[in-house]
Amino acid sequence: MSSTSTPSDQPGPGDRPRVPAQGSPSRPSAQSAPTASASPSAARSGPEPVLRLEELTRVHGSGATEVHALRGIDLDVFPGELVAVMGPSGSGKSTLLTIAGGLDLPTSGRVVVEGTDLSAASRKELAALRRRSIGYVFQDYNLIPALTAAENVALPRELDGVSTRRARKEALAALEEMGLGHLADRFPDEMSGGQQQRVAIARALVGDRRLVLADEPTGALDSETGEAVLALLRTRCDAGAAGVLVTHEPRFAAWADRVVFLRDGSVVDMTLRSSAESLLTGGAAS
Amino acid sequence: MSGSGGTEAGRFHAWRAAVRIARRDAWRYKGRSALVLAMIALPIMGVSAADITVRSSELTKQQQVTRDIGAADARLGSGGMGHRPLVQSPVNEEALPADQKQDESEQARDEADSDVDPRTAIPAGARWITDQSTYARIRTRSGLLDTSVRELKADDPIAAGIVDLDRGRFPRSPDEMIATQALLKSSGLHVDSLVRVRGFDRAYRIVGAYDLPSELGVEELTALPGAFIAGYTSAMKAAGSAYEGQNGPPSYLVSLPGGYSWPMVMHANSLGVVVESREVRLHPPARADVPFYRVAKTSTGVVQTGVQKAETVAAPVTVGALAILEVCLLAGPAFAVGARRSRRQLGLVGANGGDRRHIRAIVLSGGLVIGVVAAVTGTLLGLALTALLRGWLEEYVGKRFGGLALRPLELAAIAGLAVLTGLLAAVVPAVNASRQSVLSSLTGRRGVRHAGRVMPVIGLGAVCLGTGIAVFGSTRTDSVMVVGLGSGVAELGVVALTPVLVGAFGRFGRWLPTAPRLALRDAVRNRGRTAPAVAAVLAAVAGSVAVATYAASQDRQDHDAYTARAPRGVYAVSSGSDGGRELGAVRAAVEKHFPVSGRADVSRLVYGPRTCEPHSYQSGCGGFELQVPTANQCPSERVDDPTQLSLAERRSFATDWRCAYGGGQVAMDTEGDVTVGGPAVLHALGIRDGAAERALARGETVLFDRRYDDHGSLRLRLITDMAKQQTDDRTPSGEVRTVPVHVAGERTPYGLVAVMPRQAALAAGFRTVPFGSYYTTSRMPSGAQQQALAGALANFGSDAETYLEKGYQSKNHLVLLALSIFAGLVTVGAAGIATGLAQADAEPDLKTLAAIGAAPGVRRRLSGFQCGLIAAMGVVLGSLAGVLPAIGLRRAQLREEWSTYHTAVDNGWGRADSLPHVPIVVPWGTLVLLMLAVPLGATLLAAAVTRARPQLTRRADG
Ligand SMILES: Nc1ncnc2c1ncn2[C@@H]1O[C@H](COP(=O)(O)OP(=O)(O)OP(=O)(O)O)[C@@H](O)[C@H]1O
Ligand SMILES: [Mg+2]
Repeated sequence: MSSTSTPSDQPGPGDRPRVPAQGSPSRPSAQSAPTASASPSAARSGPEPVLRLEELTRVHGSGATEVHALRGIDLDVFPGELVAVMGPSGSGKSTLLTIAGGLDLPTSGRVVVEGTDLSAASRKELAALRRRSIGYVFQDYNLIPALTAAENVALPRELDGVSTRRARKEALAALEEMGLGHLADRFPDEMSGGQQQRVAIARALVGDRRLVLADEPTGALDSETGEAVLALLRTRCDAGAAGVLVTHEPRFAAWADRVVFLRDGSVVDMTLRSSAESLLTGGAAS
Repeated sequence: MSGSGGTEAGRFHAWRAAVRIARRDAWRYKGRSALVLAMIALPIMGVSAADITVRSSELTKQQQVTRDIGAADARLGSGGMGHRPLVQSPVNEEALPADQKQDESEQARDEADSDVDPRTAIPAGARWITDQSTYARIRTRSGLLDTSVRELKADDPIAAGIVDLDRGRFPRSPDEMIATQALLKSSGLHVDSLVRVRGFDRAYRIVGAYDLPSELGVEELTALPGAFIAGYTSAMKAAGSAYEGQNGPPSYLVSLPGGYSWPMVMHANSLGVVVESREVRLHPPARADVPFYRVAKTSTGVVQTGVQKAETVAAPVTVGALAILEVCLLAGPAFAVGARRSRRQLGLVGANGGDRRHIRAIVLSGGLVIGVVAAVTGTLLGLALTALLRGWLEEYVGKRFGGLALRPLELAAIAGLAVLTGLLAAVVPAVNASRQSVLSSLTGRRGVRHAGRVMPVIGLGAVCLGTGIAVFGSTRTDSVMVVGLGSGVAELGVVALTPVLVGAFGRFGRWLPTAPRLALRDAVRNRGRTAPAVAAVLAAVAGSVAVATYAASQDRQDHDAYTARAPRGVYAVSSGSDGGRELGAVRAAVEKHFPVSGRADVSRLVYGPRTCEPHSYQSGCGGFELQVPTANQCPSERVDDPTQLSLAERRSFATDWRCAYGGGQVAMDTEGDVTVGGPAVLHALGIRDGAAERALARGETVLFDRRYDDHGSLRLRLITDMAKQQTDDRTPSGEVRTVPVHVAGERTPYGLVAVMPRQAALAAGFRTVPFGSYYTTSRMPSGAQQQALAGALANFGSDAETYLEKGYQSKNHLVLLALSIFAGLVTVGAAGIATGLAQADAEPDLKTLAAIGAAPGVRRRLSGFQCGLIAAMGVVLGSLAGVLPAIGLRRAQLREEWSTYHTAVDNGWGRADSLPHVPIVVPWGTLVLLMLAVPLGATLLAAAVTRARPQLTRRADG
C-alpha cells in the first residue's frame, strides 16, 4: 500500500526520520507535550491521552531481595503519538509496559487506559480491556503457532464474542490495509520473523484497539527488517493509534515522536523526536 | 464490562476459537495425541462392540419364530395333561390345566391320562410334517456321549429355517444323518464318518453338518422320520435298559393357508394340545382374550425385586466409573504437560484479552477434540470388530445374529462416555493452566506453584468418612455393601490425597544416591504431573490387591471347606452295569495304566435280582432304607413346626450330635452309603482302627454314623419293589432286618455310613454284587496316565464311574496371576507415560546437563529412576489401599455369616458342624511381586527405551 515499503527500500539513515508531511489531525500533542514534561495538568488542555501513567512505582520482592523496578513514573501517550522508551538493561522498560497493559499491577500510582483506571479493574475487566483497547507486540514468538496469520489477527475479536466470519473479515481487512494480505492463510512457521512481527502489529490494532505496547519488536530482526516493522508502526500511529515502543537501538528510536530515557526505574530524560535525533547522533559522534 | 463476550453467541464464538487451537495442537503433537486417543478409544471400542453383539443376538419375533418352527404356520404338541382341556400363554408354550379341580373318577382319570394325539387339532387341508427327539449314547473317539437324536425332514419346505446346513447334504436314506457342528467338535466325528449308538446295532453315515441358529452349542443328530427312534426304542426295551421311554411325543409342524389364529389355538387347547403359532406370536391377542392369564394369576412368577435390579445395575456402573477414573488419571498428565508446553501460547492468548475462561476452554478443548475423535474411532472400531469377529462372537453367545443391530442412541451414549472422559481428564490441567498469571506464562518464569489446598482437604475428608463408614460397616453392621461403599469413598479420598502423599515421599530423598535423589526431587517438585500417574497406579493396584486379597481369602475358605472323598491319591472305580461283569476288564485297565500300590474290592447290597442297577426304580428291583432309632432323631424332626419349641430348645440343637447329619460325598455311590467289604477297605481309606478291623473279621458291621446305632445293631427296612415305592410315595412299611454293629470312633469318613462284611449282608438276606475297587497309588497318576486309562475304558465302551482324589484344587492361581499382570501393566504404563512427560518437561534441563558435560548415561539413569519411583510410590500406596478394604469386606462377611448362623440356630435349624468360617489371607506372593518386581521392571524398561542423547528440536515453538 502507500509508502510503508519505502523505508526498507531506501537505505540511508538521513531519510528515515521523515515526518509525514500532513500529520494526522490527532497529532498536536507532539508539540505541546515536551515542555510540560508530560505532566497531567498540562495535557488536560489537549485531547484525552490514550494511556496515562501517574506516579507509577513497582517493587519486586521484599526485604533483602527488594528491587525497585519503577520509581514514580509519569507519562501520557496521546492518539497519533509514538513514544520510544530507552534505557540500559534492567532499568524497568519491560515492567513499565506490562503494567501499562494491565498484565502486572503497580505497587502504587495509577494507570488509566482510555479513561479506565486499571488498578480498580477486575481480572475480567482487564482481560476485556486487552481484547478491546490494548495490543501487545513482544520481541519474538508473538503468534500462536496453531493459527494462521488471519486467525491470529482475528483471535482477540473472536474471544470478544464476534462471529468467526466477521472476525475473519476484519482481520483480512486489517492485514490488507497493512499490505500483508498475501500472508493471511500462512501459519507462523511459514513466515519470516519480520512478517510475523508485522502480523503481530496488525493483531495489536485490530478492532477498535488504539494502544500498541511493543517490547523490543525488532530485537530478533536484522536492521533492515526492523525498519520495515517500525515503518508499519509509524503509519499506524499516524493513522491515529498511540504507541509505546521499547528499544535499545537509537536508530529505531528516531521513528518516535518522543523518547523517554529510564535509568534504575526513573525517567532521566525526555526529548522530542527532533532533538532526540540530534542528541543521539551527537552522542554517537562523541 | 458487558459485551458480546458475555452472551451465549459470544461464548460460542470464543469456544470455536478455542477448539480450533486445540484441534491444530492435537495434530501438531501426534504422538501424545495418539497415546491419549488409544487410552480413551480402546475401552469405547470394547463397550460398543459388546453393545452391538448383545443387540445383534436379540432377534425379532419373526426371526425367532422362524428359527423355532421354520416356514410352518404352527407347531402342535401335546400339553402333557392327557385329554384334559388346558389354557396356554400366547408368548410361550407355558400351559396350565383349564380346570384346577381334580375330582375325577378313577376311570375318567385313566382315560384322560392317555396321551393326546395333536393331529386331532390339525384342520383339514393343512400340510404337516413331524418333529421328534430322543436321547441316545453314541460312541465317540474318547468314549460315550449323550446326545439328542431328532427325526425331522429338515429339507422339507415347511422346516426351512430351523436347520442351517453348513456343509454336506441332507439325509436321503434311512441310514443317513446330519450332525450339529458342536457334536462333530466334541465327538471327534466328521462328515462321512459312521455313528454307532450304544445298545443299537445299526450304523448311520453322517452326510452333513448343520447348526441350530439359536442354539449353536447343542449336540444333536438329525435323521429322516422313522429312521431311528422306533428301532432304537424297541432295541432298548428288549435289553431292559433304563433308556426306554426317553423319547418325547412327536410334535407337528403345520402349514396352513391363512395361518393358525388365536381362536384356533384356543380350540386346540380345549383338546389338550399346545400350539406355537406364527400369527399369534407376531400379533398376540388382547390380554382379556387370554384365559391363561386369569388362571395363571394364582401361580406366581419370579419377579426381580428392586434391590436385585439395583445390584445388577450397580456392578457395571461401578466398573464403568472406575474405568473412566482410571483413564482420566492416565490421560490427565498428558493434558497437563500439553498445557505446560504451550504456556507461551496460552500467555499470548491472555495478552490478547483471553481471560481465565478462555484459557480453560482451550485446554478443555484439547480433551474435547481427542474425546470426540476417540468416540468416533472407538465406535467405528467396535463396529468393525464385531463385523470381523461375527462368526466367533456368534459361537460365543451360542446364537446366529439376526443381522448387525446398531442402536444409534446406545452407541451415541457410549461414544458420549469417550467425550466425557476426554473432558474430565482435561479439567484439572485446564484449571491449573488458567490460574497461571499471563506474565509468568509469557516470560517462562516457573514461579512458585502452590499445590491446591482444596483437594487434599476434600481427600482427607473422604478418607475419614469412607474409613468411618467401612469400620462401622465391618464392626457394627453385617452389610458387605456398606463396607464396599465406605472403602470406595476412602479409595477416592486417597487418590485426591496423592499429591500430599507424594510430597511425603520427598523426605526419603536425603538417604538416596544422586540419580534417584534427583528423580525423587523432580517427581516431588512437579507434583502436578507425578500425582495423577501415581494415582492411576494406586487405583489400579488397589483394585487388584483388594480382589487378590479377597480371592486368596476365599481360596483358603474353599480349601478349608473342601471335603475329600478319599485320601489323596486314592482312585475309586465302580460299574453298575451288567451286574458287575465288566469289572474284570476295568480293573485290568486300571492296574495296567496306574501306579497301583493296593486294592480293596467292594460290593453293594442288592435286595432282588442281581441285574438290578444301582438306584434303579425298575419294577422287580427292591431296595432298603436305614432306620434312625427314634431316640437318635434330631428333636426338630419330630415336630412339624420348630417354632412350637422354646428358643432354648431350638438353640440346643446347634450342639446336639443327633442334629449333625454326616456330610461329605462318596467316591463310590452305593445305596444308603453302605459298602460291602473287608478290612482292606478301611486300609485303602487310611483308617487305622484295630477294633474296627477286628469287628469286621468277627462279621460285625462297622458303623461310622452313630445316629443309626440301635443298641448295638443297624436296622434296615426292606422295600420290595422300588417302582411301586416311587409311584405310591408313602413311607415304606416293609420288613426290618437287623445286623450287629461296631460303632467306630471316626465320624462318617468320606461320606461312608457303614462298611458291612459280606457274610453279614448274606445273613441279613441281601445279595452282594461286585461293584468296584478302591486303589491306593504309590504316587499321584500323571495327566498322561489318566488320559491313557480314560481312553482304555472308552475303548470297550465301559460306563464305569471313576473318581481320583486329587485333594483341593485351587481355582484362584490364574485369577491372582491375571490380576498381578493387569496391575503390573497399568503400573508400567502409567509410570511410563509420566516419565515420558517428565522427560519432555525436563528437556531444557537435560540439554543443559548435556551441555555442561554430563555423561550420556545420566539421562537414562534419571528416566529409569523417575519411572521406577512413580511405580514404587503407586504400588506401595495402592497395596495399602487395597488390602485394608478387603480385610474390612471379609470381616463384614464373617459378621454376616454369624448373623445368618444365629438366625438359623434360633429357628432350630442349627447344626453343630456348620460354624461360620471366613479366614483372611493376605496374598503375600502377589504383593511382593507388585512391590519389588514391578518397580524394578519399570526402572529397567524406562532406562532401556530412553535415548541417551538429547533430541535436537526447535526451541519452544508454542
Ligand atoms: N518477576 C520479577 N521478580 C523480581 N524482580 C524482577 C521481576 N521482573 C523484573 N524484575 C527486576 O526489575 C528490574 C527491571 O526489570 P525489567 O525487565 O523491567 O528490565 P528491562 O529494562 O526490561 O531490561 P532488559 O533491557 O534487559 O529487558 C530488574 O532489576 C529485574 O531484575
Ligand atoms: Mg525487557
